[in-house]
Amino acid sequence: MQPILSVHNLNKYYGNQVGCKNMNLTLYPGEVVGVVGESGSGKTTFINSISGNLIPDSGKILIETGNETIDFLEISESLKRLLIRTELAFVHQNPRDGLRLDVSAGGNISERLMSIGQRNYGNIRQTIFKWLDKVEIDKSRVDDFPRTFSGGMLQRLQIAKNLVTSPKIIFMDEPTGGLDVSVQAKILDLLRKLVRELNLSVVIVSHDLAVIRLLADKIIVMKNGEAVESGLCDQVLDDPQHSYTQLLVSSVLQV
Amino acid sequence: MIELNKITKKFTLHNQGKTNILVFNNLNLKINPGEIVALTGPSGVGKSSILKMIYGNYVFQSGQIKINNHNIDHKYPRNIIELRKNIIGYVSQFLRVIPRVPTIEIVMEPLLEINSDQDEVREKAEKILLKLNIDKNLWNLSPLTFSGGEQQRVNVARGLIRNYPCLLLDEPTASLDSVNKDIVLNLINEKKDSGSSIIGIFHDEYSRKYLNAREIDITKISNAK
Repeated sequence: MQPILSVHNLNKYYGNQVGCKNMNLTLYPGEVVGVVGESGSGKTTFINSISGNLIPDSGKILIETGNETIDFLEISESLKRLLIRTELAFVHQNPRDGLRLDVSAGGNISERLMSIGQRNYGNIRQTIFKWLDKVEIDKSRVDDFPRTFSGGMLQRLQIAKNLVTSPKIIFMDEPTGGLDVSVQAKILDLLRKLVRELNLSVVIVSHDLAVIRLLADKIIVMKNGEAVESGLCDQVLDDPQHSYTQLLVSSVLQV
Repeated sequence: MIELNKITKKFTLHNQGKTNILVFNNLNLKINPGEIVALTGPSGVGKSSILKMIYGNYVFQSGQIKINNHNIDHKYPRNIIELRKNIIGYVSQFLRVIPRVPTIEIVMEPLLEINSDQDEVREKAEKILLKLNIDKNLWNLSPLTFSGGEQQRVNVARGLIRNYPCLLLDEPTASLDSVNKDIVLNLINEKKDSGSSIIGIFHDEYSRKYLNAREIDITKISNAK
């Protein structure tokens, strides 16, 4: 099996300041890779640099579409935009960053469908209902504006909006970050189900080790912009080898 | 078949004075298909560490672990993920699940990895839950509020719903009453008879005898004493 996404020696600087340095990642179809580390460790810079939100200074990003390998940093801007609308998806920590608040819930979900050329109103409407159902939002809310939704509902709407075109690779930056724990559990359950049902490939950033343990197959531990340890998720968490990972794991409060 | 050849395992605690703890030096172990090996010895001697090395949770410094001729090699996490999907099953001591997910779905999950027929998988999950005396009324509830014994049986149901060629059991009967203990032991015997290589930790003599297990006293081969 070929990796669907591979990142080689990626570097991103802000002036002299290191954003992330020498980063590598291999993501196989159906796999979830977690990126952890304290605030300021470069997690968000890394995920933004591999998803098209930021332009890295150097490195290579290869995306396997099935028929060809795309060199993500070398392709034209228009092809890149197309990829971002179709094969890639990005779920923000704050759903307000990923949604249009002055467009109805249904309108938000249909945006990506229309951008890939779907025009039949009936079909689009049906797909919208299917996805509202998947993310457990009542159908009667389809024409409501997102600003009337709760935080948990907004996050589920953002997930639906992103997954509706069956993207191959999904990037998530702290998707359960601002949510209270009961809503967080529901979103985690939803994400796990979707990963299995749709064989999603996911890169997820979180500072919450428990979230990563439940979702991820592999893990990258970052500190000061670099990966200090990476590998099988429960191995790195159960038997961490690097002193920083040991510190991180032993600092988690037990409930 | 599970094989451990010349395994060295040590822990280095970087933040606690760089303490080195050598647990195993030259550990050798082989579990044949249709065989149950029971690890014995006082706690802290390294019984769980052996299971965790086989499952890939723990790294080892030198030596070789082979599962049906596949190497456990942490340089290739993908291979370990595949082995867990297809070859190695693990019943841990404690249930670790997402809050609010119903029991039935937790039990179905490992089988859904290889079988996408929801109805068929649900039927199998119901069967094993019935066998393990988990009341029907509990199936749609999260097991996090269940009693210790019930949680353990849900964990067993999840671990034994599939037929893995290799099975690791970490005290699967620890908090069960005698009736449910026998039910779980019978299920384990069924797996053995179907040809699984099984290695486990069983806290009581009764379970080890019931399973006709080959006992290995870890005290004799462990450095952590």
